[in-house]
Amino acid sequence: MSLFRREDLHSLAAPYALDALEPAERARFERHLKDCDSCAAEVRALSEDAVRLAWSAAAPPPMAMRDRVLAAVRTIPQEPAVRPEPARARPEPVRARKSQLPPHVWGAQPPPRQRQRRPLFVPFATATAAAALVVASLFAVQANRTQDELDAQKAQASEIAHVLQAADAAATRGQDAQGRTIGVIASASEGRAVVTLSGYSAPPSGRVRQLWLMRPNEQPRSLGLFAADTPLVATGLDKSATSLAVTVEPDGGSPQPTTQPVVQLALKSVGFGE
Amino acid sequence: MEADELLMLVAGGDQKAFEELYGLVAGPVFGLVRRVVRDPAQSEEVSQEVLLELWRSAARFDPRRGSALSWVLTLAHRRAVDRVRSARAAGEREQREARRAHHPAFDQVTEEVEAGLEREWVRRCLERLTELQRQSVTLAYYDGYTYREVAQRLSLPLGTVKTRMRDGLTRLRECLGGAA
Repeated sequence: MSLFRREDLHSLAAPYALDALEPAERARFERHLKDCDSCAAEVRALSEDAVRLAWSAAAPPPMAMRDRVLAAVRTIPQEPAVRPEPARARPEPVRARKSQLPPHVWGAQPPPRQRQRRPLFVPFATATAAAALVVASLFAVQANRTQDELDAQKAQASEIAHVLQAADAAATRGQDAQGRTIGVIASASEGRAVVTLSGYSAPPSGRVRQLWLMRPNEQPRSLGLFAADTPLVATGLDKSATSLAVTVEPDGGSPQPTTQPVVQLALKSVGFGE
Repeated sequence: MEADELLMLVAGGDQKAFEELYGLVAGPVFGLVRRVVRDPAQSEEVSQEVLLELWRSAARFDPRRGSALSWVLTLAHRRAVDRVRSARAAGEREQREARRAHHPAFDQVTEEVEAGLEREWVRRCLERLTELQRQSVTLAYYDGYTYREVAQRLSLPLGTVKTRMRDGLTRLRECLGGAA
């Protein structure tokens, strides 16, 4: 006989998703999950939320770890694939794999709805989510802004909204070795993009960060200068564009880049480069 | 190539694919583990275990159940929490924390270096939760406490903590604009 009434078990979905159950409770809840489709769906959703918390903790790993791990995989044997066919196969039986990971991960539960494919390193499911980020970064510093700045900000917010309304709006981001990121929401059909930098300290005095559009067989074209931490709205992007690059330039910017890019981001995943 | 595809190749024993996959997941895995485990040496050890488990068990990954990255991070979190609980049970953690109190520089520096897009955004969304929602979620997820321990620390009934965790996660989802 169960120690818990059913509704008590339901209420464990959130602690379970956060790995906040004691082992015995965890086991009991996992048994319950097998027979409760609605709990499984809830656990999956809550677990996705928890993974967002995980992403925000990303940090550059120690270099030595890479060497050790890659050396180890050359000698460590793998568990054999249970499935007979190589790629698209039937799910293996539940019992065979329940030992190591929670069922919503290993597949004791019904499959989730078809997931959208995402570009590399984009934890956001949709361009809208990425845009919410941009908008939030605008709101965050509002208190210190003058009316002119607020007006400019408002114009920028509507520019962002405009980019997002495009049917082909897509988001991507890149990260450098120090964990600093460049994020882009772009519409190839509109030739517009909103670009954010994150994790960068202010450029040295007398210097500014400049955004460049890179195209095959052509000189880089300036897309503008970054002002403090506000996103940059770039327009007139042609479809042949392959990537964006950021360089540090003297105040006022340069006609052509004079330094190596601090970060570069390919635009293929957001519909450019044709 | 995306993590999902790479993981499928890794399942077939492709070491090159594993190397590429490592590049994608090592940072998130190590960062998460360190956030929970705190001790740098132990964090590295747990991360290594997770990454090797990824190699060994890649064949278990089923893309229809969710993304490879969610899979990896769920595994990493589970391992990190297991480690921190056994360390805590052994009383080591309290001692470490006492020592750490005298060296606050470590966390501050890394905070600065790692201030990425997600970190910023999640931080903002966490700030929008109520105090109890935020504490219930972060004490469990980032500090590895069970919900019973969280209830004890916050002097709240168990039922309240469970509700705060659920509401906190749901509100976080709304704020992050996620489509789960």
